[in-house]
Amino acid sequence: MKSGTRPSLVRRFWPLVALCLVVTAIVALGSLGNDELQVTITEMMIRLVVVVGIYLFIGNSGILSFGHIGFMCIGAYAAAWATVDPTWKQMMLTGLPDFLQNNQYGFLPAVAGGGLLAAFVALLLGSAIMRLSGIAGSIATFAFLAIVQSVYSNWESVTAATSSIIGVPTVVGPWVAWLFAIGALVLAYVFQISRFGLMLRASRDDEVAAKSSAVGIVKVRLIAFVVSAFIVGVAGALYAHFLGILTADTFYLSLTFVTLAMLVVGGVGSLTGAVTGVIVVTVVVEVLRHMEAGVAVGATNLHLPQGSQEIGLGIIMALVMIFRPSGLARGREVPWPFTPAARRAKVPAV
Amino acid sequence: MNDALHDLPPGIAQAQAAELVAESIVVQFQGLMAISDVSLKVERHEIFGLIGPNGAGKTTLVNCLTGFQRPSTGRVLLAGEDTTGWRPDKFRKQGIARTFQAGRLFRDMTVAENVEVTALGLGMSRRAAHEHAMAMLAWVGLADKADAVAGTLPYTDERRVGIARAMVMSPAFVLLDEPAAGMSDAECDDLMHTIVAIPKEFTCGVLLIEHNMGVIMGVCDRIHVLDGGRTIAQGLPAEIRSDANVISAYLGMEG
Repeated sequence: MKSGTRPSLVRRFWPLVALCLVVTAIVALGSLGNDELQVTITEMMIRLVVVVGIYLFIGNSGILSFGHIGFMCIGAYAAAWATVDPTWKQMMLTGLPDFLQNNQYGFLPAVAGGGLLAAFVALLLGSAIMRLSGIAGSIATFAFLAIVQSVYSNWESVTAATSSIIGVPTVVGPWVAWLFAIGALVLAYVFQISRFGLMLRASRDDEVAAKSSAVGIVKVRLIAFVVSAFIVGVAGALYAHFLGILTADTFYLSLTFVTLAMLVVGGVGSLTGAVTGVIVVTVVVEVLRHMEAGVAVGATNLHLPQGSQEIGLGIIMALVMIFRPSGLARGREVPWPFTPAARRAKVPAV
Repeated sequence: MNDALHDLPPGIAQAQAAELVAESIVVQFQGLMAISDVSLKVERHEIFGLIGPNGAGKTTLVNCLTGFQRPSTGRVLLAGEDTTGWRPDKFRKQGIARTFQAGRLFRDMTVAENVEVTALGLGMSRRAAHEHAMAMLAWVGLADKADAVAGTLPYTDERRVGIARAMVMSPAFVLLDEPAAGMSDAECDDLMHTIVAIPKEFTCGVLLIEHNMGVIMGVCDRIHVLDGGRTIAQGLPAEIRSDANVISAYLGMEG
């Protein structure tokens, strides 16, 4: 390719195509397995949506957010309010507005509602905190997570507080989750190569230079924050319709830790990294979980002590940080496979 | 005139402001007087030299003229309009561009993308921004490095990318903060040829901060000298060369 010519459409979208193929292959193989594997694959796809959503903001803006699981919580509850049986809602969730309390909506409107409510909250919150840079912004997102947690675990008449919302229709299986994973990948990739994505990444590399390049930093950050909250809100709605039961505890520190670990292990600098992290961490956690449960070797049942999952994940993270500080994907996207190897080193990350 | 540099898409106007004025600027950092009562005026057709020893307040003044530093008192006027309260991106949109001493390229992005960002920020479409960025890179002689990652460029090329980025869509004024610092004489000569062409090529006023007196005397139409945050002289190069204050404060220092 001649220097400076704009790459062809196929080539520009190659990383997206490659990632979609990998994700599809995983779901196709998983769908041949037993029920337990199907559950694992479904949960992995939902987490992929979450992590891709978080990546859209953190990866492009360079601002670490601890608050995105709060958007997942908001999306999950909003969707559950829409799809749970009205007789149960009239009994337990007396504080819901009429249109939710007395009606039952379908899965898709519920998912859309979950995403939109999360996006709306992100718009309000982001208008205030997108002006902050560095650690101040990150702490503000953490405070948001704590606020959401506290509200959703105490607002008896709307969230059922510490008792659970039950009877959410469990309609999300591997292929439904896959469909949303593909959607999230497309949205994140299109954003990344869009004008807003480029301007936002400029502000990540050098905030001062971006300002002097006529980039309205607060605006481009806010756009990314809202789109990213929408994706994570949708993931929350999916999760509600996968679990069937909702408690606010689900959406707090441990889920925040796992999803950020996925992003960091894969590499926060690229969509390929986000996907890699989800796959690798899921596999590691599953293997350790099986070993905690015990593996029969001859007559004895060998098993790791409880808590090995968390310790193992911590060790993996430490090793990745030591040997590949920018993550397994090193901030690059899947390279175009038809470039001679000698030139490949020079092809920049998207 | 190179037409590719000026072919802007319809609906996107080149900045029109005719003069950039600093009016009695004072900048105080917690009691420390960085700039005291400095006024200057840069016109659209000239190269205006801003010189002075280290710590004289040159960069602080440029920060005031581009929205990065708010003057404690005094105003910056663009074509007579008060710019107080404008953010840096607004300064750029109104036609005041700058470069940085440290280069400040977007290191993880390609050279072409570095230049494209400004075009996007100014409202061009993705495709138009790319074409315009390529024209700008050709102008500074870096078209063949368009696909290189900016962080891998040698120092001299970094400076050129910075200038290409600043000149996107022909600003009315460009403020160059020591663009030749650390360059060899030959590299410096090369760069000055590019800079001297700016007023004619882009109808753009240049404010040039530079340490090398030979360079400043050679390329500037007018010169403003700062020392310790105060104006100690201003005028034509010949006047500055013979000014007693300048000789003792600045030239004397260089031996």
